[in-house]
Amino acid sequence: MNLELLKQKMDEANYVYDDTLAVTLSVALQLGRPLLIEGAAGVGKTEVAKVMAQALDRELVRLQCYEGLDEGKALYEWNYQKQLLSIQINMQEQDKDQLTQSLFGESFLLERPLLKSIRSEKPVVLLIDEIDKADEEFEAFLLELLSEMQVSIPEIGTIGAKSVPFVVLTSNRARPLSEALRRRCAYLYIQYPDLEKELAILRKKLPHIDDRLAGQVAVAVQKLRASESILKKPSIAETLDWAAALDALGIRELTPDAMRQTAGFILKNNEDMHVLEEEPAPHDCNCGHNCGGHHHG
Amino acid sequence: MVDPVVYTEKLSLFSRMLRLEGLAVGPQETADACQVLLNLDLTDKALVKAGLRTVFAKSREEQTTFDRVFDGFFVSEETMRKQAMEQMAKQAQMEEGRRQAEKDLQFQGQPMDLREDLRDVYAAMPEEERQKLRNIMEKYKGNIERSPELYGNFIHSVFARALMEHQMRMEDAAIGCEEADPELGMLYRDISQFKDTEIPKAIVLIQSIARQINGELSSKGQKRSHSGKLDFRRTIRKGLETGGSFYRLSFKKKRTRRKRLVLLCDVSGSMMQFSEFALRFMQALNQVSESSRVFLFSEDLFEADPFSLQNMDLFRNYVRQSGLYGKGTDLGTALEKLCAIRPEVLNASTTLLILSDSKTIDLPRATAAMLEAKHRSGKMLWLNPIPERKWQYLRSIQTAATICRMLPCSTLQELGEACRRLAT
Repeated sequence: MNLELLKQKMDEANYVYDDTLAVTLSVALQLGRPLLIEGAAGVGKTEVAKVMAQALDRELVRLQCYEGLDEGKALYEWNYQKQLLSIQINMQEQDKDQLTQSLFGESFLLERPLLKSIRSEKPVVLLIDEIDKADEEFEAFLLELLSEMQVSIPEIGTIGAKSVPFVVLTSNRARPLSEALRRRCAYLYIQYPDLEKELAILRKKLPHIDDRLAGQVAVAVQKLRASESILKKPSIAETLDWAAALDALGIRELTPDAMRQTAGFILKNNEDMHVLEEEPAPHDCNCGHNCGGHHHG
Repeated sequence: MVDPVVYTEKLSLFSRMLRLEGLAVGPQETADACQVLLNLDLTDKALVKAGLRTVFAKSREEQTTFDRVFDGFFVSEETMRKQAMEQMAKQAQMEEGRRQAEKDLQFQGQPMDLREDLRDVYAAMPEEERQKLRNIMEKYKGNIERSPELYGNFIHSVFARALMEHQMRMEDAAIGCEEADPELGMLYRDISQFKDTEIPKAIVLIQSIARQINGELSSKGQKRSHSGKLDFRRTIRKGLETGGSFYRLSFKKKRTRRKRLVLLCDVSGSMMQFSEFALRFMQALNQVSESSRVFLFSEDLFEADPFSLQNMDLFRNYVRQSGLYGKGTDLGTALEKLCAIRPEVLNASTTLLILSDSKTIDLPRATAAMLEAKHRSGKMLWLNPIPERKWQYLRSIQTAATICRMLPCSTLQELGEACRRLAT
């Protein structure tokens, strides 16, 4: 898929992107490389995979990583209960070797996301979310899958990919990832959107919202993110929630009062709430007049 | 139409440049880059840059390096010509400076005993500064002729000091120039240069690095968890899932004994900011130690109340109330008092961590006290906020470095690295 076509597909998926993001996605697709996306929480890393699934018209297979995640949860597991039942039923069978062998067949294999993604007849988008939360052993185990597009199951042997998935890995940089994993991936770092992009996202995702309110929300969120006193920076999802909450309450203008009433949608810890109460309204438009920041569209 | 070979050669050279800058670029990356270029509009520089960055840079830090190398490598002919002219002018100026240095840096017709790099520093000095040094030489001309040995040493030390100071200023200025990405730049900037307005940002950065280190240590801890002893209860419970057969064995976790830390923090005027950052790191790192005691010192020693270290304002107020604020550094007294505390604070299972710039009064006494403290504690480490490149100029650091291991901590990145090393 060339760059122009990809852009067109992303437009159709209502996704707001910049050129760097589009080029990176296009390069990763072209080279057939997994894409490693890093960035602060809430900048839209996971969304990239969802949008790619939509744009490429593929199924999204998701693997959420956590501490202690192992092959059993990520790749495959034998269906023990079914195996036990099978043993009970076929107890009278004479050929014991045949019985044992049958226990490790396809019908007893429970596919987990990784195996599912490579055994799918149609190519899928595989999202390996928050890889930094998984252990280093799991990261090493992923290497075979990412570079060779195959996995090894001791009882069956090596399983090659029927179709090559587009792999997206996301990381919040909670721990540094290994060089080996990085080298196998194309890399993208996503930052919080600037004012223009934030406004474009608001307009695309919440088209029914008053344009002036959307502008005020975008400016306020930008200022909150720029404020050094705010510890937990608002994410894009929180911006959308906030704008939707303001709209649901019938608020058409972002006054300091409206902001305080709905602050829980944008700020998620007590210290930040205190900062908001102590500091002047962050949506002051710097117009030079004592307008309180809410009389200009 | 340009021959494609030209592109491949240029790309190969570019890969080599990236490798020289520390990026792990192999033939695979170069081949990928070739493939990317075939499908991109080569007239759009931003597009090419984004495409190549995806292939070559594999972290945010590498992206910054990549951008710098790319911008320096792919320049227009006009810019290249301009840069070459500037470089030639610079070289000519340097040559002239060196000739001047050869003439000026003489004592009674003999060249002064100065290092080659200091001679180059003199050559690059602005004319006013060189004139100042020449004036000193002129002023003491009569004395030099009367007593060449005595004034020879004096003139030499004046010149050497002035040149070293200028060298340090030049190094500091060069570091400032490297700050392309504000957040990354903050990681690599001298802590002493932080403005007050940047402190909250630095604290957020510390929390994020500490979270990274905690994540790293926690996953390492998982790896070490196998003790070899079977956990019967868990094994039997898991066995129930597989009809009573012990398909998977569970083992008891290994008990890891973490260190007991004793932190000795210098809170004299210049050290306050650094100590605060370092303490925040230690607090955020829940994996580092099972217990820690914090002592603050300047000319006297006080044990800090853990609650007073919880936030910046409390910490500053506590230091002010303790009477330590704004005083000089007396490491000798602090260590002597620490060793005299009963019941003993330092023993074989403690790690003593000194956070100080080592600019102490009464160095011989401090040295003796350090030897005693080292003898009593299991391990002694020093976190020093003075940049490592300046250590050669400070005698106190050189002395302290012979007694205990000194870790450079002039930037948040180094401080984080030191904490990581402390924990592993």
